[in-house]
Amino acid sequence: MSTDAAPAQSRLWQPPIVGLVTFVLMFVAVGLGHTLMVLIEHQLGRETTLAVSPLLGFTGIIMLWYGVKSKNETFQTWIGFFGALVVWMCWVEFFYMWYGRMNWGMLPRMDGVDGLEVSGTYPEYMIMGSTVGTLLMMLCFYTFDKDTRCNMFLWIQNKLGLREGLGPTTKTAKDRNYAIITFMETFFVTWFCYAWNLLTFDPGLMGRGDLFVGINLASVFIAVVWAGFCLTRLIQFRRTATALRYAIPVGNIAWVNVEILEKLDLMSHAVFIDPWAYKLEASVIFGAFLTLVALLLLAPKKPSEMGRRVNPAD
Amino acid sequence: MDGSRTVNAPHHTRRALPALVLLLAAGGASAEKLTMPDGMGGVPDIGAIPCSVFSAMMERGPLGTRHSLITWSAGYLKAASGKTLQHLADAAGAGGAPWTYQKLGDELEAWCTANPTAMTADAAASVAAKLGVAVPVAAAP
Repeated sequence: MSTDAAPAQSRLWQPPIVGLVTFVLMFVAVGLGHTLMVLIEHQLGRETTLAVSPLLGFTGIIMLWYGVKSKNETFQTWIGFFGALVVWMCWVEFFYMWYGRMNWGMLPRMDGVDGLEVSGTYPEYMIMGSTVGTLLMMLCFYTFDKDTRCNMFLWIQNKLGLREGLGPTTKTAKDRNYAIITFMETFFVTWFCYAWNLLTFDPGLMGRGDLFVGINLASVFIAVVWAGFCLTRLIQFRRTATALRYAIPVGNIAWVNVEILEKLDLMSHAVFIDPWAYKLEASVIFGAFLTLVALLLLAPKKPSEMGRRVNPAD
Repeated sequence: MDGSRTVNAPHHTRRALPALVLLLAAGGASAEKLTMPDGMGGVPDIGAIPCSVFSAMMERGPLGTRHSLITWSAGYLKAASGKTLQHLADAAGAGGAPWTYQKLGDELEAWCTANPTAMTADAAASVAAKLGVAVPVAAAP
């Protein structure tokens, strides 16, 4: 949360508006990420998309490169977020899609009473589910990193009694580059939430009966409580850049519910994955998303968010 | 009904009961629906699904779905002709365009796309005809 010496003056951009706007934006962004994938596939054609996706992924890295060189925290945050989305989409989703569908010859999981409906667990998601061990191993880095500022990992470090052993952090806020931080945060949060959904959806682990329903309803409970708790903290934020970064996991954890409720046939997010069938609705949501982005870009910033730090001695 | 049969009836019943139980048990087992192992994709019998389902599976897993039906067709052709798929493909391609793995898949896929309400086994029968395999009516899917 902000401790800037010279806070921006605005009657509108105060708690809880900053937190609520960033939460809605990040929640919708997850859905629109699905839409973006579908649109790219549609425009380029699936085979072309899969062929060029490794190269397309580099655009995310180029974005990150620009972001890291910038001194503007707001710019770093936005560029880190969008860069990670591009890299996730191209180097994970599309690449797994090529491996599963076109290279390894995997078949989609089937669903329905007679087992003749293609479920949403396409080959790429079957592969992704198997990466949970790699994910947990990578998260060990943040669990045992003394310089992490993520509240969740700080909480884990405290619970594990690691703070003393790890020692004091050697970095201050101005030592941090928020482009790479946001980039990695977005990537890992997306990966974590996918893995969460894919594990609880896996009939090989959960079966197709009471355990499956029970585990997924428990997931809804956890996701609602977790996202709700984080939201109560988020709505206290004043700085838009900080709120944006905090809203990334909050929006993604909230989205876990959307996937589960769809899996249980209790709702649908078809507007995001079949935008042609819902042109008006998809356009309205996209318009609202762009409006929120514009509002956040225009929102008054504190000097530190713009790369101008106030020296308390002045 | 004569007297002797009436007299022997309890003896026959004692012998028939276990057989009846076995028959019923066997009948119950055969009625159980085949399902895939939970974690796997696909269907247990790719030759016995509607072509519309096959096409939907092709959308999400083209290589594997196509390969499953080619493999199923190979068994079907072997049963109908006594020859392997490779043998039949070599013979059919000898006089013209070769029958490749790709062409086999294309034929099956195209037939199913054109006949969404038919069964995938019908697609295999169509390929069998093109490969010069006479499918007996009794053996036809």
